[in-house]
Amino acid sequence: MVAMMLVVFGVTALALFFAQRNMAANVKRDLQREFQGELTALHAMRDVRHAALAELCRMLARKPRIHAALEDNALDLLYPSARDELRDILTSDDPAHQDSGSGTLHARFYRFLDGEGNVMAPPNGQGAGWLNATEEAQLNLKTLPPLPQTGYLTRADDGLGERVEEVIAMPIVSSETGAPIAALVLGFRPMDLNTRRATEGIRSGVWLGGRLHLPALNEATRKALADEVSRDMVDVGRADKNLTVEIDGSPYLMFYKLLNPASLFPRAFEVCLYPLADSIDRQHRLFWQFTAVGGLLLLGAFGASRFLSIQLAVPVEKMAIDSEENRAQRVRAETALELTHEELQRSARFSADASHQLKTPVTVLRAGLEELLAGEKLTAEVREEMSTLVHQTFRLTSIIEDLLLLSRMDAGRLQLDFSPVNLTQLLDAWLDDLGALPDAVELAVETDYPPALFILGEKRYTAIILQNLMENARKYNRAGGRIRVAARTEDEWGILVIGNSGQPIPPDAQENIFQRFHRGVAGENVPGHGLGLNLARQLARLHGGDLRLARSDGEWTEFEVRFRLVVPVRASTRVSA
Amino acid sequence: MIPLPRMNTPRFALLAAILLWPVQFVWADAAIEGRVELPKARTAPVMNRRYEIVSKGGVLSTNPPLAVVYLEGQFPAPTNPALLQVTQKDMAFIPTLLPLQAGTRVEFPNLDDTYHNIFSYSPAKRFDLGRYRPDERPIPSLLFDVPGLVVLRCDIHEHMRGLILVLATPYFVLTDPAGHYHLTGLPPGKYVLKAWLDSKTTLEHPVELQDGAALQLNFP
Repeated sequence: MVAMMLVVFGVTALALFFAQRNMAANVKRDLQREFQGELTALHAMRDVRHAALAELCRMLARKPRIHAALEDNALDLLYPSARDELRDILTSDDPAHQDSGSGTLHARFYRFLDGEGNVMAPPNGQGAGWLNATEEAQLNLKTLPPLPQTGYLTRADDGLGERVEEVIAMPIVSSETGAPIAALVLGFRPMDLNTRRATEGIRSGVWLGGRLHLPALNEATRKALADEVSRDMVDVGRADKNLTVEIDGSPYLMFYKLLNPASLFPRAFEVCLYPLADSIDRQHRLFWQFTAVGGLLLLGAFGASRFLSIQLAVPVEKMAIDSEENRAQRVRAETALELTHEELQRSARFSADASHQLKTPVTVLRAGLEELLAGEKLTAEVREEMSTLVHQTFRLTSIIEDLLLLSRMDAGRLQLDFSPVNLTQLLDAWLDDLGALPDAVELAVETDYPPALFILGEKRYTAIILQNLMENARKYNRAGGRIRVAARTEDEWGILVIGNSGQPIPPDAQENIFQRFHRGVAGENVPGHGLGLNLARQLARLHGGDLRLARSDGEWTEFEVRFRLVVPVRASTRVSA
Repeated sequence: MIPLPRMNTPRFALLAAILLWPVQFVWADAAIEGRVELPKARTAPVMNRRYEIVSKGGVLSTNPPLAVVYLEGQFPAPTNPALLQVTQKDMAFIPTLLPLQAGTRVEFPNLDDTYHNIFSYSPAKRFDLGRYRPDERPIPSLLFDVPGLVVLRCDIHEHMRGLILVLATPYFVLTDPAGHYHLTGLPPGKYVLKAWLDSKTTLEHPVELQDGAALQLNFP
């Protein structure tokens, strides 16, 4: 039992250990997936916005007035024309209105680049968005780009340090030559990922020119991270990467990605930080929860295993006791059976011995009586008396023979030698004998059986069955009554029904008529010794059939014997027919 | 014999003058004819003579190519300005190239079912007619008084281009698609005959015209 408990305990502990490890791995994987999922969502949002901005720029770069100004030598009209075209998307110059209601698709400034890729200064800076000289210089490209370019611009933020703005340079292709003749540069505020609901937890900034612009962090941290990105970028040279960093003692997952691949503007990287502290806390919490739950489970398992072992042990013990009792009972039963068997054998032997021992003196007695009867000196009364005695010896012989037969059957020593027996023939013979009896003359005999009916049996024993039943029908009949003998086949059975008129057997006596030495109610006046029906039934069963009382009511009693038919004979008859 | 009606000398002289005036006018003026070698058309010429403005390397010309041949000299401005039209039909300017004498007024009727907004940033004429519909009345018009090439554009339909060549002369003619031209009624004198082929190419040749003489001159 202790071993079982230990096994349960060990298995539970092992399962808990693996479950905890699996759970920790799942948490980590979920975290990574969550981070990647959020980033992907952010990038998809940013890509959509960028595509929208690029399309906006492309549309503006196709405006006929801008083309006319550039192609028809009217550069003085370039910025005014552009201002008209850009009026809807340009935010106000007034700083007070710059942030209010300016959507992410609103431009903060615009400039044109000439054929050399240098900024064409606006006539008075008004209406094109103000940029100082340093900022404007960042827009210069060494050549005019044939394709749109994305860049990032560091701008001084009033009292707040620096901020980064996104620029898109869209080449203006001459409708006359098909070659780029200028470029329109539009500046936008980058999408602020830190304020998006979907990005809860993620901090995002831009790495540009060795500096990290992430207002949520302090200067020292920004510098350290910028250095790390710069170093990592140089070492690995990849355009994007995941790495773990530590900020103020807390671990963060850092992701950086090149924002403007293949751009003529300086390279800029998006840097995203995802705090790991929460997830580590979560893992710790999970660990302790697991430990606690595990402990409880172990205790539960301990209790359960104990309870189970007790519950299991009780029936086993009970079974052991029962088994011992059963064994004793079986031994007793076997002994009793053996005794009974011996008893039966002894009884059967006794019966057989007794029959043999009795038959001889009876025969001697009868012979003696018949000898005396043959004497001539006897008076009529003595003769009458002796005649009765002789008759009694016959009766005694009959009883002894029946007992002998029964004892042989009881001992299992009577084996029938089966052969086809013509039942019809036996019936006819017996009916002939009946006709010869003096007291049978008054009885009407009806017969209803086929000309030949072959059953399986041994003729002398079959005859005993018929004889016993027929004699009963005669003996228990009333004066002037009738006997009906009928036989028929039914499936594989040959069925013989012998009925007689006369006083019926009372219902409560019907059960006992097949018992040995049972006599009917009319038994006193009827010769017999109560063995006939018992003997007939035993023999019928030895034949493979049976004998039963079919009915006994009113004035009519019927017995039915069932014999096995000789099947092969019937089959061949049928075939030959 | 039927007697001739009597006619006194002054009346005869007046009649003769009236009858002979055109003869004197034709015979007195010079004429130039010839052929301008036009660049090959970019595509096969179409039957309905629809011209479009095409550009190659920033040079505007018509396709199929046409040239404007004009006589350059000191001529007085027209006292009674002519009125011409450049229509906007099927999203195109018709005619695509209109030569005219400085001081000519041009109307720009809109024959399309949509708005057009004609403007030009050309130094010869900067203007913006704004958006207007076909039923705009009066039909927007402009006086072109500074010689030069005016590129017409539509602010709504960026592909539309039209050219107006403002000339300081009343003597000009548009060649046929084969380049043939015929200038008549020219005053005698020394001039420069020019052939405008595209926005960057103008051929020229000095000519001296004499009374009633017909000059044959091919470009180049």
